[in-house]
Amino acid sequence: MLTLVFVLVFNFFLFRVVQTDPVGSLFRGRNIPQERLDELREEFGLDEPMLTQFGLYLRETAQLNFGYSYQSRQDVWGEISERIPPTVILVGVSAVLSAVIGTLGGVIAAWRRNSWKDHSITSGTMVFYSMPDFWLGMVLLVLFAVVLGWFPVGGMVAAGSGETGVSRLLDQLHHLFLPTLTLTLAYLGEYTLVTRSSLLDVMGEDYLTVARAKGLRDVVVRNRHAVPNALLPVVTLTAINFGFVLSGAIAVEAVFSWPGLGKATADAIRGPDLPMLQGLFLLFSAAVIFFNLVADLTYSWLDPRVEEA
Amino acid sequence: MKRIAVVALAVLLAALTVPVASAQEDDDVVLKIGNTQTFDTMNPTAGFNVNEYEVWNLQYATLTDKAADDFAPIPGLAESWDPSEDGLTYTYTLRDDLVWSDGEPLTAEDIVWTINTSRDQGWANHISTVQNLTAVAVDEQTVEITSSVPDPKLPVMDVYIVPKHIWEPVATDAEAVTAYENLDGVGSGPFTIAEFPNEQLVRMVANPSFWGWQGEEPPIDEIVFQSYTNPDAMVAALTTGEMDAIYQIPATAMADLEDQPDIETVVGFQGGFEEIAINGGAAEGQPHPALLDLEVRRAISFAIDKEAVIEDLYAGLALPATTMSPGADLKWVPDIPEEDQFTYDPERANQILDDAGYMDSDGDGVREMPDGTNPIILRHAVHTGEDLAIPIADLLTGWMEQIGIGVELSSYDGDQLFELIIQGDYDTFYWNWVPFVDPDPMLSYFTEAELGNYNDANWTDPRYEELYAEQKVELDPERRLEIVHDMLTILYEAAVYIPLYIAPELQAYRTDRFEGWVRQPAEVGPIMFSNTSPSYVLLTPVGGDSDSGATNTWLIVGGIAAVVVIGGVVLATRRRSTTADDRE
Repeated sequence: MLTLVFVLVFNFFLFRVVQTDPVGSLFRGRNIPQERLDELREEFGLDEPMLTQFGLYLRETAQLNFGYSYQSRQDVWGEISERIPPTVILVGVSAVLSAVIGTLGGVIAAWRRNSWKDHSITSGTMVFYSMPDFWLGMVLLVLFAVVLGWFPVGGMVAAGSGETGVSRLLDQLHHLFLPTLTLTLAYLGEYTLVTRSSLLDVMGEDYLTVARAKGLRDVVVRNRHAVPNALLPVVTLTAINFGFVLSGAIAVEAVFSWPGLGKATADAIRGPDLPMLQGLFLLFSAAVIFFNLVADLTYSWLDPRVEEA
Repeated sequence: MKRIAVVALAVLLAALTVPVASAQEDDDVVLKIGNTQTFDTMNPTAGFNVNEYEVWNLQYATLTDKAADDFAPIPGLAESWDPSEDGLTYTYTLRDDLVWSDGEPLTAEDIVWTINTSRDQGWANHISTVQNLTAVAVDEQTVEITSSVPDPKLPVMDVYIVPKHIWEPVATDAEAVTAYENLDGVGSGPFTIAEFPNEQLVRMVANPSFWGWQGEEPPIDEIVFQSYTNPDAMVAALTTGEMDAIYQIPATAMADLEDQPDIETVVGFQGGFEEIAINGGAAEGQPHPALLDLEVRRAISFAIDKEAVIEDLYAGLALPATTMSPGADLKWVPDIPEEDQFTYDPERANQILDDAGYMDSDGDGVREMPDGTNPIILRHAVHTGEDLAIPIADLLTGWMEQIGIGVELSSYDGDQLFELIIQGDYDTFYWNWVPFVDPDPMLSYFTEAELGNYNDANWTDPRYEELYAEQKVELDPERRLEIVHDMLTILYEAAVYIPLYIAPELQAYRTDRFEGWVRQPAEVGPIMFSNTSPSYVLLTPVGGDSDSGATNTWLIVGGIAAVVVIGGVVLATRRRSTTADDRE
């Protein structure tokens, strides 16, 4: 909670450290008389002293009123909430996929250490992990959308289809595929490596020898005894990554023209659209804080010793 | 269980590779336009993006329209107009039987309400045109517009006329009107907004009651504007046929597109230019004292190689510029005689500096002031939001080195740079402008009144000031053109504002989809995203609606086959590993 208050205060001043005039730069070359620009500054509250602006900002934010975007003139919360679904679908789906597939890969790699499986999984995921995600996105785009023509090059729905219902859903999935694939591939490596090293640590433990001595099958030893104990660092990683789900994926959203929050942030910085930036950063921070809390709670469930600490 | 999951996954993958072709099944003719800018708003009192104007140009007719060839006023909602004796009042007669797209009659009342309300509430896209105007409805079909000062822009009335019955309830004050979402889709132009689901997509449908169709079926049913954040993806979308025409193409992609079959590229000009501005010293912060000397500014102008910029950074597609281009039509730019032009000549530049006494007295390669102090090092501001700002800064550093002037770079985003210009704490910067059709706003930026606002050079000149006031009320177009030419020559000779080139609008369209594209202005202008967007009502589909999806059928079949095979292999390996486990 304290962190959130800090973020709230910090957000306000962060964007005002440099002396700026958003009205002047937003309306540069727009053929608007000087008097009207002054009226706009007044409308946006930019003519008030900084402290008065800050007071207003705190009061309004406390009432969950984030103000109006300078660029679209629409309610900031409305603008943000419109962009949440595309981002959550894209980044959320790929976060889940990369966590699940990456962890499974890590388990296999560790359990069959130094086998061909280990080598191919580790090096394969590392190759994708070390590529810049936007570059990987471009490569997939060129291959699948341009050369093969299987998937559209960008956007969320096919231009010109006033589709509804199932066909619209299929259309969206069709558009979702490449960006999701990109993000999933890009983040597999993290999970695989963390899971692998954590599981390798656990594998030396005595209780696994005991489990085997009891005559349990290898798979059972792995799934019941080894993996749960190796999952803690993976949970941390997952929680951190989920915290960033809402922040969107600026680069990949840009490559695939996906209308999400990452894109919105980049646009808002251009102005700068101060109310929009404040709203976005508050949301991002809140999401990170929330998922860290979730991670803490999951720890104590996975490992009762954590509660004592 | 696992097997079912894998099979399900394979089926899903296969389903996704099949493009949803059902959109093409009904016979709607859809024109799809790609661009790289997002849509902030659909409200013409709030938005300013080039792509948004394209939408409003289609949804809202204006009282007078502009000819595609030369922007001359032609009938719009008004069929004819007559000036009064003193030229201050114009009487417009509307077409017969005008209706809004929702069937309500469009009368003089709508026009009067739009003009007077936009003036009172200061609507951002209307105010510069209507600030001195008063409109009165004489009868249902006649509007009288009076200007309180002589206005050379009349009889042109190019503000968007909005439906009073929709807007009156939402336009209660200046702030309320900008907050309106404007998704009602009621207009008087050829197409109206049907859908704006997110910032990257706008769908418009034909307005059957638009007068320009002359009672015939509109040849295009829908127009879709899709914005791509990735310009290369947009180019790909044109080659794959996902888009019919695209705008804002990277210069580097133009050559490739030219070689493609069924694609025509367009290099259009409507006056936008890029410039290096020198601080003229009229703001509080001061430039390096050497820049206040005309000879030094002239020397800098002679050291700038505009051809190299165009060749290196624009693949040779831009036009070299002399002085500022104040309007969309290049006729406003005066012909500067060749012998008076600052043509690239570093030797001459060095000579000028030598003659004026700026020598490099300590031999460090940088000249000092004539008294031997204060080396001339330019503080150049680099605009981080402009793609070309960094390469231009590098070029500038090289040019200045040749004439013994140092350059020190610092970066700013647009907002900070704007503030910096007002403060005057810089020597040079690089930025750009896209002018309006009428040259007045652009010309006004070099007057005293614009210091602390848009005076980009922090430069003023009494003679320029006088001529500016003169052209503002000059009703004879020939005479006004002469005055504007004189003003721009003064600006050129002062060497404070160095336009590098007239920037091209890079566009392309598929020749196998629609025909009838027109340039505005004629021969040199772009075919879309121009001042009044005349192409759209003239386009007709080429030889029926072709199905671009059909060519991909075999690829799709191959894709499905590949997925099935991969699924099978995965299944097989799984089965083998299970048995191996069991054996253990």
